[in-house]
Amino acid sequence: MKCKKFEKWILLALDGRIQSRDKKKLDEHLQSCPLCSSLQKEYQALLDSLKEKDFPEPKPYFWERLQSELKSRKALEPWTIWKKWGVRAIPVSLVLIILFGAAIILFSPQESLELSQSEALLLRNLNPLEETRALLEKEGIVDKNMELIFTAEEKNNGSNNGARRYLP
Amino acid sequence: MEEKDLVRLSVEGNEEAFAVLVNKYRIKVFNLAFSLTRDRDTADDLAQEAFIKAYYALPKFQFKSGFGTWLYRITINHVRDFLRKAGRVKSLPFEKIKESAIPQEDDRMKKEKESSQEERRKYVRQAIRALPEKHQVILSLRDIQGYSYEEISRILKISPGTVDSRLHRARKLLRKKLAPFLSQKGGSHEV
Repeated sequence: MKCKKFEKWILLALDGRIQSRDKKKLDEHLQSCPLCSSLQKEYQALLDSLKEKDFPEPKPYFWERLQSELKSRKALEPWTIWKKWGVRAIPVSLVLIILFGAAIILFSPQESLELSQSEALLLRNLNPLEETRALLEKEGIVDKNMELIFTAEEKNNGSNNGARRYLP
Repeated sequence: MEEKDLVRLSVEGNEEAFAVLVNKYRIKVFNLAFSLTRDRDTADDLAQEAFIKAYYALPKFQFKSGFGTWLYRITINHVRDFLRKAGRVKSLPFEKIKESAIPQEDDRMKKEKESSQEERRKYVRQAIRALPEKHQVILSLRDIQGYSYEEISRILKISPGTVDSRLHRARKLLRKKLAPFLSQKGGSHEV
């Protein structure tokens, strides 16, 4: 149990981070405990093995290679931006076109309609035949065929105005 | 010219300013990548990519830490991503390394004669690669690269207390796994 605490101190001592008071206690313990003394040697060997003495150099022309890579990426930037935003722009454009088309249809001015005389009468909910009959009655023009036409018209309309007969 | 000015000029697109920063930090960035990958070509590629990432992230750099600390953080994260993608972190369970890399009892005497500092280093490196990623990183920063606890705390954005406990745990794990090999020097010890 005691040794467990000293393991931590051994590592702190190898790191140069142990407090002087603890260092004294550790030294005393190491002199009396062969196991901890051996543990210290193991850690020392381990840390020595970890220390890198000769790192290899990066490959030559580090900056030149990096610079060229940055340049080629910059050249690709517009395409990259298009790839990023173009996909989103297509549906947005379609929606805008549809909205624009709908707005044109809804808000464009209506063409003025030129109505014939009969259409104008129909629009005013007037019967052209009745109008004609009124004119004929007024002017006293009577014709056998016309009489038949008007009679048939009256029948069709189911008019109750049976008292009105077009007699000569 | 101060580092802050170099960073500002680099953000504005001044290549010369960025070149100064690259030349100042390229060795450290490369070494950081090398200590985790143990391969010169891979470390060189990773260092280049780390600088490219840093270049594009420069406008977001807010000078809350030193440029170097920020750059090392980018490098560490980039190397971690690489290791995860390459599947190297979990590809070597320690037991396998122990069997394949550490000399067995029978041939230990023979090996003892020819074992050199370099050989021991090789075994230790292989053992490190089998450790969990966070332990690899902290051992690399402290015991291979020699960064201070405070620097490691800033780079990894963890408290100095966490640096201390994580490092202690990593060293303990490594020693435990390498005990048969280390005992050639000092005898094994179980606490």
